[in-house]
Amino acid sequence: MSAKLTRRELLAATGGLLAPRARAAPPVTLRMSWWGGSEVHRAHLETIRAFERKYPHITVKAEYTGWAGHLERLTTQIAGDTAPDLMQINWNWLVLFSRAGDGFYDLSKVAGAVDLSQCDADSLSMGRVRGRLNAVPISMAARLFYFNATTYAKAGLSIPSSWEGLFAAGPVFRDKLGPDYYPLDLNLQDVIAVARTRQIQESGLPFVDEGRSRLNASLPETVEAARLYQRLVDAHVIPSARERASFGNVPPQEMRPWITGRYAGVHQWISAIGKSTDTLEPGQAIALGAFPLRAQAKDAGLLYRPSMLLAINRSTRHPQEAALLMNFMLNDPTAVLIFGVKRGPPVSRRALATLAADDALKGLSWEGLQQIQKLPNRVRESGFFEHPRVRDGFIDIYEMLGYGRLGVEEAGLRMFEDVNAILRRVIR
Amino acid sequence: MNARQSLQPLLRYGILIGVGFVMIYPLLWMIGGAFKPNSEIFSSIGFIPQSPTFDGLEKGWKTSTEYTFATYFANTFAIIIPKVIVTVISSVIVAFGFARFSVPGRRFLFGVLIATVLLPKSVLLIPQYLMFREFGWLDTFLPLYVPSAFATEGFFVFMIVQFMRSFPPDMEEAAMMDGCNSLQVLFYVVVPVILPAVISVALFQFMWSINDFLGPLIYLSSVENYPISLALKMSIDVTEATQWNQVLAMSTLALLPSLIVFFVAQRYFVEGISLGSVKG
Repeated sequence: MSAKLTRRELLAATGGLLAPRARAAPPVTLRMSWWGGSEVHRAHLETIRAFERKYPHITVKAEYTGWAGHLERLTTQIAGDTAPDLMQINWNWLVLFSRAGDGFYDLSKVAGAVDLSQCDADSLSMGRVRGRLNAVPISMAARLFYFNATTYAKAGLSIPSSWEGLFAAGPVFRDKLGPDYYPLDLNLQDVIAVARTRQIQESGLPFVDEGRSRLNASLPETVEAARLYQRLVDAHVIPSARERASFGNVPPQEMRPWITGRYAGVHQWISAIGKSTDTLEPGQAIALGAFPLRAQAKDAGLLYRPSMLLAINRSTRHPQEAALLMNFMLNDPTAVLIFGVKRGPPVSRRALATLAADDALKGLSWEGLQQIQKLPNRVRESGFFEHPRVRDGFIDIYEMLGYGRLGVEEAGLRMFEDVNAILRRVIR
Repeated sequence: MNARQSLQPLLRYGILIGVGFVMIYPLLWMIGGAFKPNSEIFSSIGFIPQSPTFDGLEKGWKTSTEYTFATYFANTFAIIIPKVIVTVISSVIVAFGFARFSVPGRRFLFGVLIATVLLPKSVLLIPQYLMFREFGWLDTFLPLYVPSAFATEGFFVFMIVQFMRSFPPDMEEAAMMDGCNSLQVLFYVVVPVILPAVISVALFQFMWSINDFLGPLIYLSSVENYPISLALKMSIDVTEATQWNQVLAMSTLALLPSLIVFFVAQRYFVEGISLGSVKG
């Protein structure tokens, strides 16, 4: 009896698989949201048209914006239970919307429609919250050091490959090229990233200890993090906060000294290096620098995380169709070729193979990914490191340090007390 | 003596023109930037493009979306025109009530109204969103202008009340004697007198609404319904370099309605003031 039933079920199941979907399935309208610039919008719209040709019963309504305001809109939509079926999310939004792992649809329920085997276990684990697969990464990224090779050649230096080399480049730039030339440009958020990297190379532990709701750093170590800014400025490695402020509150790639090559380095995400190279005056070349490691570094201390992920609305009425669209975006050769490496080199193995066959795997972001794969990279940072309140807590302190309202020791103490207090409040 | 007399205005106008030029320079730079290739925007401080091009205007108008900028302009006006009209009507009626009628609890109610001016709008965002969701108004223009029909902009009501208080009620009393009811008094007697205030309210609401980003961002999810304030930021992302020449070209166009409305209204504004005098 039970065998008979099973056979019938099996038959029905295969029948369902073999039958042309277009005829059988009722029409479905999906909503998909993303943020991006012009290129990303065009690529998405083109991909959606290709998807609709492949699945004629599904219509996709595109809801997209620029970066500004996207989180605010998504927050209201999620609060009002009107979020799109498929959405592009940022990695740290997982801790904002899905603390218990139930903020998004559990993708293991639609594993038949999304080919998760294309994604390596490590990357996939970063879309998991409390054991539930909330989101699948599109691409992975970390911040690396990219340098303006043209300016370094002018200074008669090769591109630095160690912390010592970086610190030594400062005085050479000042003496040979002039006081307004710097081997690296870091805004305060970048300084935090570098301080974190150096701390992890020493400790081999994530910077934020989610279990204990505090920083994995002692008071002397946070003082060291504060002192890093002072050391970088004193050694003429980076322009001071005051000097940077004189160019206005604009993104680093739009600051004149970067455009003209006087600030000759960035600590940039591999998925976003394109925006830095795009604004340069012609005739300059950007090269990837070897990642600096401390002596006996336990880990490179990369902030390695998904640059963006796809997630499904937890109360969607069409999980299967949304999963099909997700799969199409991640793995389908048509979609992959349209996107190329615009959003960073993809995670999906199949997508990588497609791009390799098309000879599209090149450029600074691809080189960056190659470098990441060679570095000791085991430490996985907590999503709370990128929590807006934690980030602002750090920036406030570095700002006061940069404008001389706090000394190094005090800034380190404030970091130890204030940031730990913020972490206690946000990790609940 | 004579030389000094002619020198003074020269100096005065010289300074005025100099300061005026500095003030208007960013605007000129924006217009110039609209006709520059993107690479030139960051590298030159001058506003006259070295190699002028209509590329930014053309591509910006087409946008990176499925729609051209014409759609976004049309949406903007579909929101703003009803919004300005209902704001003016509702604010005038409510202000008239506060200024001329002694209802019990008037002072308290007026205090509440002023308190709403001080309330940050973001506090109401999510409750209002939920309310409009229940109405089924999401992704329509209704949540953007219907609330204005209930004199929700306390500042405008306050402004008109203050304006009304500066006029003696004599003319209204005369109109009452001649048999006007309250609404007739309002529209035939009071409104012509307070026309400058009404025009200012319309002008303010027009400019604030055309610049409003958060409201449309939250309530409109379809790209086909976006107004220009959203469309302008569509192509500004964190991972991609922005085509500023396109953004500047469209910003220049987006500025035109505000400028035109302002200059047209300015004439009435002055007229309104001269007509608004009451003869004893």
